[in-house]
Amino acid sequence: MDDTARRSETSTQAAVQVQDVSMVFDGTPAVDAASFDLAHGRFLTILGPSGSGKTTLLRMIAGFQTPTAGEIFIKGTPVSTTPPHKRSIGMVFQKLALFPHMTAAENVAYPLKMRRFAPADIPGRVKRYLELVQLGPYADRRIHQLSGGQQQRVAIARALVFEPDLLLLDEPLAALDRKLREEMQLEFRRIQQELGVTTINVTHDQREALVVSDEVIVMDDGRIQQMASPTTTYGEPANRFVANFIGVTNFLPGEVIGAESGRARVRVAGHELEGRVAEPLAAGTQVDCALRAEHARILGEAEAVSFSADAVITESIFEGDRTVYSVVAQALGGAQIRVFDTLHAGAGNKGIGDAVRIGWDSRHLMVFPR
Amino acid sequence: MFRAAPFRIAVWSVVVFNIIFLGLPTVVIVLASFTAGDLLTFPPEGFSLRWYERLLGMRDFREALGRSLQVALFCTLFAMPSGTLAALAMVRYRIRFARTLQLYFLLPFTVPLVVSGIGMMYVFGDMRVLGSLWPVGLATCAINLPFMIWSVSSAVNRLDPDLENAAANCGATPLQAFFTVTIPALMPGIITGALLMFILALNEFIVSIFLVDASIVTLPVWMYTSIRNIITPDLAAVSVVYILFAIVSIFALDRWVGLDIFLKSK
Ligand SMILES: Nc1ncnc2c1ncn2[C@@H]1O[C@H](COP(=O)(O)OP(=O)(O)OP(=O)(O)O)[C@@H](O)[C@H]1O
Ligand SMILES: [Mg+2]
Repeated sequence: MDDTARRSETSTQAAVQVQDVSMVFDGTPAVDAASFDLAHGRFLTILGPSGSGKTTLLRMIAGFQTPTAGEIFIKGTPVSTTPPHKRSIGMVFQKLALFPHMTAAENVAYPLKMRRFAPADIPGRVKRYLELVQLGPYADRRIHQLSGGQQQRVAIARALVFEPDLLLLDEPLAALDRKLREEMQLEFRRIQQELGVTTINVTHDQREALVVSDEVIVMDDGRIQQMASPTTTYGEPANRFVANFIGVTNFLPGEVIGAESGRARVRVAGHELEGRVAEPLAAGTQVDCALRAEHARILGEAEAVSFSADAVITESIFEGDRTVYSVVAQALGGAQIRVFDTLHAGAGNKGIGDAVRIGWDSRHLMVFPR
Repeated sequence: MFRAAPFRIAVWSVVVFNIIFLGLPTVVIVLASFTAGDLLTFPPEGFSLRWYERLLGMRDFREALGRSLQVALFCTLFAMPSGTLAALAMVRYRIRFARTLQLYFLLPFTVPLVVSGIGMMYVFGDMRVLGSLWPVGLATCAINLPFMIWSVSSAVNRLDPDLENAAANCGATPLQAFFTVTIPALMPGIITGALLMFILALNEFIVSIFLVDASIVTLPVWMYTSIRNIITPDLAAVSVVYILFAIVSIFALDRWVGLDIFLKSK
């Protein structure tokens, strides 16, 4: 049959395959021809601003919404006609959606009962998973008797207890305070590695995406902008959107005047700068040169770098582990540039209004078409 | 918060006024029912249980009470599924004509009950079922159903729509999800509505009077006919019986179903 042919063709590599999947609401695409493959046991985070289609994509994978185009494969099997209760997917919802009339243990036992696990095995399995999320002593508490963090753990246990092929997390940590959130991020990672379950996580917290994932997808306006490892996503953003969305990035508008393999020379306010390009750019292309705030530096007296310019400090924000300066460089057409300065470095006791020299190493400059 | 003394005084005055206004008639009736005299008076003359004895000795009363309980039970059992499904359909599934339907369900309240009663009398009369109790229960259910629907609707509105998705995700079929997750999550609303329906049915008078005959008199109708003869303290005793039913049903629900747990869980 057609199905079996497709299955054998794809079963070798991917746990999840998304092929040209689109979801159109009232003529507006919420997800626009998204495609990616995810290998077994990997932790993928989908990162993007509000309204970029992250939840919609996740809901299509879970089966709550049917794509208007494209196909999703789980373990090589197309699932667009499979109702959600027949897919082997565990999900942790944004608002958790725990069953309020059940105890923690009953919540965790629910998928086992619905999926007809042998009744004799259920209590042991529930106990094991409650212990995995460190909730052993709370088994008989009702949901409203648990703290926010404990409720998260119940939701994780409920999603994992039946050993799904795939775990989906829809911003379940968004409501927690920062400390607990960071704790839970690492907890997710620990459990995911312990069980080796393929995981797709949705967030708009860039730190979370970089910390917990094997792979990161950046989405904007329904389209996948880049899929790569956290280091590549941060170090080699595929386009201006990704460079802007992750990290603190300065953009200097300019025009391409020449290009060699992988690099381009750009005129910015009469200066010639050089930077990396992702794709070859023709001379005359309008571009933005992107520079991470941690790569811009306030230079000491005799320091020499590949590019430097005079500037004036207009703002200085102390953040504990670093100070964030905003400087205006007349030589760069009055561009405002943000500079991270770790406490012991360059700027010394410089303050607002002081003249400084800023500079950077040209290997850090990235050039994106506008 | 509002700590200002004038505000607090205003709030407390309203609360106290409400308690007096709502509670005083009940207190007067309860006290009057224990009178030792021959007339319904307040303050009561002395203390005795003679009117309760008299009441329990009356076969008419016991039978009427039994019938009213049957009517109320029928009404509640019928209202629970129909009201719950109606509320779910209207709030949840955004069906067409939802607004019109909502108005339609309000209709019984906009028509004077006397008119509803006459209408029902014709309908059930044509069906040749007058003289049995279930039409009274059905009629009571029909006119009071909006209470059930409202009470369940508010629970449906508070329901997280992802709860059913979560059930599906756990492997539950739509039917399983409905019975194991949706209905239990709506229970506070269903219980509140059922309690209201039961008590309202126990009290229903205006429509019932058109639907009962001498052989199937319900308690409120029985009370009305006895008033027409003479107002004696046994009427006050009947009221106390009503109050007892209300209190007992609330406590029973609390004990059996654990009302507090439903009320606390968001
Ligand atoms: N059921 C729906 N009907 C119509 N439009 C919808 C529906 N669900 C989502 N959308 C639209 O699709 C777009 C993407 O929504 P989605 O919920 O996927 O965003 P998101 O990336 O999850 O955002 P957030 O980070 O705020 O949760 C939005 O513009 C939203 O308004
Ligand atoms: Mg979302």
